[in-house]
Amino acid sequence: MSVAARRALLIGSWLALAALALFVRHALVIDSDLRRFMPPAANADQKLLLDEIGDGPASRLLLLAIGGASEETLAPLARGLALKLRADAHFARVLDGQADPAALDPALLPYRYLLSPTLDHAAFDSAFLRSELEQRIQDLSSPGADMLEELLPRDPSLEVLTLAQRWTPAKVPITRDGVWFSPRGEALLLAQTHAPGFDPAAQAAALDALQAGFDALPNSGSARLTISGPGYFSVLVGASTRAQAEWLSAFGTLGFVLLLLFAYRSAGVLMLAALPLLSGALLGIIILMLAFGSVHGITLAFGFTLLGVAQEYPIRVFSHRRADVGASASLRAVWPLLRLAIVSACIAYLAFFASGVTGLQQLAVFTISGLLVAGVVTRWLLPLVMPSHFRDAADMAGLESARAWLAALPRPRWLPWILLAFALALLWLAPTPLWQNDLSALTPVPPALLVREGELRDALGAPDVRYLLVLDAASADAVLDVSEKISPQLDKLIAAHAVDDAELPSRYLPSLATQHSRQARLPDRATLTAALDAALADLPFQPGLFAPFIDDVEKARALPALTPAEFAHSPFGARLEAMLVQRDGHWLGLATLTGVHEPAELAALATANPGQVRLLDLKGASESLIAQYRARILQALGVALLLLALTVAAAFRDLRRAWHVIAPMSLATLLVLAVLRISGVSLSLFHLVALTLAAGLGLHYALFFERKVENAAEGRRTLHATLVCVLSAVMVFGLLATSSLPVLRAIGLTVALGVAFHFCLSILMAQESTTPTVEK
Amino acid sequence: MTLTLLSATPSAPAPPRETPASDAAALIARLARPVPSTTPYAEVRFAHLLKTPQVQHGELDYGGAGKLGKRVEQPYRETMTIDAGSVQVQREGRSTRHFPLDRAPELQALLAGFSALLGGDAATLEKIFDIRFVDNAPKWTLTLTPHEAALRKHLREIVVDGSAAEPHCFSLHEIDGDASVMLLGTLAGSVLPRPPTRSALDAICQRVAP
Repeated sequence: MSVAARRALLIGSWLALAALALFVRHALVIDSDLRRFMPPAANADQKLLLDEIGDGPASRLLLLAIGGASEETLAPLARGLALKLRADAHFARVLDGQADPAALDPALLPYRYLLSPTLDHAAFDSAFLRSELEQRIQDLSSPGADMLEELLPRDPSLEVLTLAQRWTPAKVPITRDGVWFSPRGEALLLAQTHAPGFDPAAQAAALDALQAGFDALPNSGSARLTISGPGYFSVLVGASTRAQAEWLSAFGTLGFVLLLLFAYRSAGVLMLAALPLLSGALLGIIILMLAFGSVHGITLAFGFTLLGVAQEYPIRVFSHRRADVGASASLRAVWPLLRLAIVSACIAYLAFFASGVTGLQQLAVFTISGLLVAGVVTRWLLPLVMPSHFRDAADMAGLESARAWLAALPRPRWLPWILLAFALALLWLAPTPLWQNDLSALTPVPPALLVREGELRDALGAPDVRYLLVLDAASADAVLDVSEKISPQLDKLIAAHAVDDAELPSRYLPSLATQHSRQARLPDRATLTAALDAALADLPFQPGLFAPFIDDVEKARALPALTPAEFAHSPFGARLEAMLVQRDGHWLGLATLTGVHEPAELAALATANPGQVRLLDLKGASESLIAQYRARILQALGVALLLLALTVAAAFRDLRRAWHVIAPMSLATLLVLAVLRISGVSLSLFHLVALTLAAGLGLHYALFFERKVENAAEGRRTLHATLVCVLSAVMVFGLLATSSLPVLRAIGLTVALGVAFHFCLSILMAQESTTPTVEK
Repeated sequence: MTLTLLSATPSAPAPPRETPASDAAALIARLARPVPSTTPYAEVRFAHLLKTPQVQHGELDYGGAGKLGKRVEQPYRETMTIDAGSVQVQREGRSTRHFPLDRAPELQALLAGFSALLGGDAATLEKIFDIRFVDNAPKWTLTLTPHEAALRKHLREIVVDGSAAEPHCFSLHEIDGDASVMLLGTLAGSVLPRPPTRSALDAICQRVAP
C-alpha cells in the first residue's frame, strides 16, 4: 500500500471513530438505577428494597439550607424556592414552615371527632364538658385568645388543636414568617425527589433543577444555598471520583505516550496505538445499546476497566514488528498467540453472560464485543496503516543483556510452592473482614459534609435513612389497624428514648373500626344539649353560644367513616398516600423513624408482631444484595477461570504447556489477594474487577513468555512488548493507586500489584530457563 | 420595681400636647426595664363570648428581648413563658403545652411590640406600630396603632398610660370590641368594682400613681 493510501486509511479510520463517538454521545442512554444491576431479590427485605420502596423514602430527601444573609432576605428566598420546587416534576414534595397543620381542610372539619383520639378516653358528658369549658375561660384571658374566639362555639374541646398537635412532627425547626430556621439562622427546606437516592444520574438532574431554580430567584446572589442528603452525596462523590480519575488518567496517558515514544521512537505509533481500544469500546457500547437499549453506568465503568487488556494488542504488534519482513508478515507470527489470548478471554467472559444478572450480562456483552473488535482492528487494520519503515524493537540497546539476565535467572521448582504456602498463610492471618459490602465506604463522603448533614438532619428532625418500619396487611385499612395496634408500643419506645419519633400512618388517619367506635360514643342531640346545659350552669358564657358545636356533633354521628382514598384530598392526604403502598394484592405501610438510638428495641417490636411489622434495615438489605451480587461474580469468575484453562489446554493440546500459562496467572492472583488482605484491605466488587483485569494481562505475559522462540531476537521482541505492557500498566494504575479515594486506590493498587506479580511469575514459571540462543 | 426618675419632670404644669416623635422615642427609651424585672399586675378582660369581665391577678416577668413571662395567681394558677418564638403554657393539673408563635402572627407582632416597649426599643416599636404620644406631665399616654395587616385584623390599638418613666396601664382594644386592661405595679392592688367596668378602669389608669 502506498504512503498516501495508508495515510488516507488511517485518517478515514479516525474519522469513522469520531463519527461513532458522536453517535454514541447522542444515542447513549446511561442507566444508573442500581436495581437493574443487581441480582433478583432473594428475601423479603431485598424485595422491598428493590421493587417496592427503592432505598427508602428518607434517602430521597434533600436537606436544604439557605444562609449568608439576614432573615429578611432569606425568608422570601426560601418561600420562592419552595414554590419553584413544588412546580418541578423532579420533586415529589417540598416541606417548609408554611404547611400549617392547624389548617384542617374545612370539608373535614366535622370529621374531627372521628380523627381525634379524645373520644377514646372521654365521653361528651357534663363532667368532661365542664372541665373543658372552665379551661376555655382561662384560655380566653390569655394573649392568644383571639385565635380561639372563632373556634370556640364550634369546637369547645379544641379537637382541631389536638389534631394539629398530633400531626406536627415531634421535632420541628423554629419557624419565622412561615419559614423554618436553623439555630444558626439559615432558612431550611426539605425536598423529596421522585428519583431514588441510589440513582446518581436522576439525582443529578434533580439537583441541577434545584440549583437553577434557586439561581433564578431575585436576590439569590446575596445568599448561599447548601444542599445535603444521600442523593446529593451520591452525585458529589461520583463527580469527585470522576474528576480525580480523569486527572490521574490524564497523567497516566501522558506517561503512556512518553513511554510509547521512548519504546518505538516514532510519533506515528501514537496514532495507531489507540485505534483497537477505542474501536472496541465504541462498538462495544453500540452493540450493548442494540442489545439492551440502555447501558448501565456500572457496566461502562467495570467494562472499560476490563477492556484495558486490549491496550496490549497493538503493543504486541509494534514490538513484534520485524525490520526484515512486512507488517502483515510479522503480525502473522504472533497472531495465533494473540488470537488465543483474545478468544480465551472472550470465552471466559461468557461465564458472566450465564450469570443471569442483567448487569453482568451487559458487562459480558460489552467486554466480549469490545475485545473481539479490538482484536479484529489489531489484526486487519493495524498492519494496513502501519508505516513501512518501523524500528525493530529487537535492536533496542540494552535489551539483549536484560533478556539474557532474565533468561539466566535460577528457576527453582520449589519456589512457586513456597510462594503459594506464603500467600495462603497471609490470607489466613489477614486482620480485617474478607469482604467490604458497604460500597459507600469506598466512596466516602468528606467528614465536614457529614457533620453538616448531621446538623441539618437534627435541625429539621429529618427521618433516619437506615431504618424503616414496614407494616404489612391485606388492605389499606388493615395497615391502619396494625398501625394503631403498635402505636402504644412505639410510644413506649419513644418514652424510653429508643427512638425519637415514629411517623405511623394512623397518626393521620385512624382505621375505619376506630372511627366507628368514636362515632358510637358521640351523644345524640338531646343528650348532648342536656350535658352541655349542666356543664354551663354558672359559667359566664353567652347563652346559645355553643349551638354550632351541637350541630357539628350531630353531623359527625351520621358521617361515613373516612377512607384513605377520601383522606387523600386533604392537605395531609399526600403524606398518608406516600406511606401506603399497594403491592401484589397486599398493602404496605411505611413508617419513617427519626433518631433511632436502639434498633434492637425496634426489632423486638417487629418480632412481637410477626407477619405484620418488620424493621427494615436498608443498609443491611443493600449490603446483603451486594454480597449476593458479589457471590454471582465470584461464581462467574470461577467458571471463567475454568473455561480459560480449558481453552488454553485445548489450543495447546498439551496440559503441561497449559499449566505453564495458567499456574503463574493463578498464583499471581492469589499473591495479590494475600498482599491486599495482609495490609488490612477488605475486598469489594472493584477489587474483583481489578483482579480480573490483572489476570487478563497476566495471561498475555504467560502466553508470550511460554512461547518457544526460534531466536534471541524474537525473545527480545517478546521482552520488549511485555516490558512496554507492564510498565504502562504499572504507571497508569500505579497513579490511580495514589488517589485519595478508596475506590480508585482499590482498582489502581490491585492492577498495579497484579501486573508486577504476573510479570515476575510469568518469567519464573512460564519461561523455560535459558533458551538456546542462536542468532539468525 | 425600681423607679428610674432620670426624666426631668417639668415643674410647671403644661397643657396636654402632642409631642414630636423624638420625644416619644426619648420616653420609650426611658421605659426600658432592667433585665430581669418582675412586676405585679391585675388584668380585666372584656370578652364578647362571656357575659362578665374576667379578672386575673399575677406577675409579669421581663427577661430581655423576646423573653416574656406571665404568672397567673388568681383565680387559677398558670405560667406562660415566651422565648425564642415559642410559647409554653403550664396550667395547674394539666400537662405543659407548647406552641410556636408563628401559628399566630398577630400574637407574635403583639408580643414583639410588648417586648420592644419593655426594652425601651423605640425603633422596633415604630416598625410595628404608629406611635402617638400625648404628654400631660407628669402623666403621659402612648397610643400604639398597628401597621401590619395581620395584626390590624384583630387589634385596634394599645394604649399605655403612665407617668415619669413608669407605665401604669396597658389597654388592648380589639377590633371585635373585646378589650383587656392591665394594671401594673402599684395599681395592680387597686380595688375594683364588681363586676369591673371600663369607666372604672379608665379612672384608675388616669390617676397619677402615688
